[in-house]
Amino acid sequence: MRVAIAEDSVLLREGIARLLDDAGIEVVAQSGDADDLLLKVRSYSPDVAIVDIRLPPTHNDEGLRAALEIRSKHPDVAVLVLSQYVELGLALTLLADSAEGVGYLLKDRISDVDEFVAALRRVADGGSALDPIIVSTLISRERPDDPLAQLTPREREVLELMASGSSNQGIADSLVITVRAVEKYVSSIFTKLGLPSTGSESRRVLAVLTFLRT
Amino acid sequence: MATAMSSHVAAPESPRVWWGVVPAAALAAAAAAASVAFALAAGNPDVLQVFLLEWVGVPYIVAGLVAWWRRPQSGLGPLLVAGGLASAFSGWQLADSAGAYTVGAAFDIVPAALFLHVCLAFPDGQLRSRFERVLVGVSYAAAVGLQVLKMTLGGVDPANMIELSRQAGVVSKVEDVQLLTLTAACLAGLVVLVRRRHGRPRRRSLGIVVTSFELALVMVALLFTIATFDWPGFQEVQRLTLFVVGLSPIAFLFGLLDARLARSSIGDLIVELRKELAPPDLRNALASALRDPSLDLAYWLPDFKTYVDLDGRPVALPDDPDRTATLIERDGRHVAALLHDRTLGDERQLLEAAGAAAGMSLENARLQAELRARVEELSGSRARVIEAGQRERQRLERNLHDGAQQRLIALSLRLSMLEKRLPAEPVLKRELDVARQEIALSLEELRDVARGIHPAVLSGHGLAVALESLAARAPLPVRLALEVRGRLPERVEVAAYYVVSESLTNVAKHARAAGATVSLERRRGQLVVEVADDGVGGADTEGGSGLRGLADRVESLDGRLRVWTPRGGGTRVQAEIPCA
Repeated sequence: MRVAIAEDSVLLREGIARLLDDAGIEVVAQSGDADDLLLKVRSYSPDVAIVDIRLPPTHNDEGLRAALEIRSKHPDVAVLVLSQYVELGLALTLLADSAEGVGYLLKDRISDVDEFVAALRRVADGGSALDPIIVSTLISRERPDDPLAQLTPREREVLELMASGSSNQGIADSLVITVRAVEKYVSSIFTKLGLPSTGSESRRVLAVLTFLRT
Repeated sequence: MATAMSSHVAAPESPRVWWGVVPAAALAAAAAAASVAFALAAGNPDVLQVFLLEWVGVPYIVAGLVAWWRRPQSGLGPLLVAGGLASAFSGWQLADSAGAYTVGAAFDIVPAALFLHVCLAFPDGQLRSRFERVLVGVSYAAAVGLQVLKMTLGGVDPANMIELSRQAGVVSKVEDVQLLTLTAACLAGLVVLVRRRHGRPRRRSLGIVVTSFELALVMVALLFTIATFDWPGFQEVQRLTLFVVGLSPIAFLFGLLDARLARSSIGDLIVELRKELAPPDLRNALASALRDPSLDLAYWLPDFKTYVDLDGRPVALPDDPDRTATLIERDGRHVAALLHDRTLGDERQLLEAAGAAAGMSLENARLQAELRARVEELSGSRARVIEAGQRERQRLERNLHDGAQQRLIALSLRLSMLEKRLPAEPVLKRELDVARQEIALSLEELRDVARGIHPAVLSGHGLAVALESLAARAPLPVRLALEVRGRLPERVEVAAYYVVSESLTNVAKHARAAGATVSLERRRGQLVVEVADDGVGGADTEGGSGLRGLADRVESLDGRLRVWTPRGGGTRVQAEIPCA
């Protein structure tokens, strides 16, 4: 797997590069700002770009704009956005069209190396990764006549993992149950919430997210 | 009560003026009389032609002498007299005497060039740009130089005394060049006049004169075009042109009369002022009494050492070719300035009378303007305090983000990489895990602190994205109705964000509501932010609800915060923030 990193703090950029190196992942480009990143994505065609959401010069939305540009101009390059704050509104912007090959994680997550690398691989393979904070904010959100009240505790756990982008296999591994059992939970959740079945694992992220948002 | 005046306009007429005006008057009278005499003596005179020549010449001379006498330092008077003189001399063409005829023929076209000069130099006698000077220079060269050339080559009647040879072909070419040059110059002059019109309205009397100039320039251009191409109807158009050109000085004299008549309107002004006019009406009353629709008032604020308009905003006194200011004093103190058309400066007595009549009302209006200026200053300093606070918060958040938070993440990453290299040693691993959890907790706390200082997502990604998170985190169901696309000015976004965040906190604490609605809408150049709940209402709008701080923030942007909170009927907080 080939990765490009855009992060303006040298300390963190090199840290991430080293952890990827240790995990046997090739870092083909490192950038300190968005323009340089876009240039290097064009020249090196990495499998995935890791983008800090706050990049120079203004540290406002340069990172997000670069991520969206990569999504539209280089659909074969996956994007994992890192930020020191995760915001629902930004998740919705990033995943506006599809959740395939997109991730949005709190920057803190890099220190959990194994999980971070797993999420990176999932995104590079066309899956998604949504930070647990966003998922739990969405699930615990106050709603009138909360439809989530119908779910069993186990189903809620499956819903959380599903929303954060885990595959059925991933959910099965986390909860130590069989893939078959996961499939049963998923279809039960979809029925209870009145969601149409979507088939693809990354497409259901968007469906669940849209449902949870309201 | 003593009202005194001083003015940017120069002193009134001095006796020395007579040294210029009297000989000019005598010369002009002689030239005009001579042209009539020559024409009548020539036998079979064209009476209409003679009349039309004097119709142009005499009013120019009279208007010129009046202007000269009234404003000796302006070049307009002599210029008008010169125009009349040239017109009188050109009438000498009708003479039998060869000498007089030669003079008349030499002056044939000169009035046209002088007329263009007058049009462009009106009303202060100055040409205003290099382009205008070139235009006038070229016209004189064509009207005088080419005319003399034509005459030496036998282009006019044989009676002409400076004829050297007869070359009809060359003469016709020279004449074409001469007339077309003047046509082009007149049309260019017309464009200059029309472009000057744009901007503020000028005094009515000036407007009429300028219109007569424009009309006459069109006629002169038409006349020369007809002459160049030998189109039919030359004589009719020539007469019409002379008639139109003669209207301008009459319009000018009418303007002077109009200004004289204006003095009688001071009586009306005094009656009007008894009604204790509101300051805007005071301006209108003065503008109509002075017959200058462009009139403006500026009030003197001694503490600020500046003139301001009625809203308390600083005003610079004009001093350019079009506009000037007349200062009005009362009991030896500056009160106000009248900003007016420069030509109104000729009417010193009128200005004085109006200033005296309006003294008391102007003083009242000045006090109002002073009050407004102080309010403006106060609200300006409130806005600056809030803005400075906001900038400081943003700086702090940024420092946290780039400093402590970044370092802690790097540290945590380092620990976990260290952990990976260690041999499987359960005790050490547990210790490292605890350390990393400590760091994670610190990061979480720091994140909350940073968000409290300033929501970075707001400056980074705008109101809609920031409110989305706010609604999701609220401890009650919040419905968002955001009818606003794109980014707004940052201070507007920040104020709107705090209105929503503070209101939602209040709802959660006090309202016992089942849900709330947040709406954003742009209405008539304003951002309207509304937070409504279905709770118990009867909110305390004065105490520690934070509403005062919100109102400060909104009002510092010239906005308005309103709260409806009937007991049992829910609470609605609405902020209107200007964002043009």
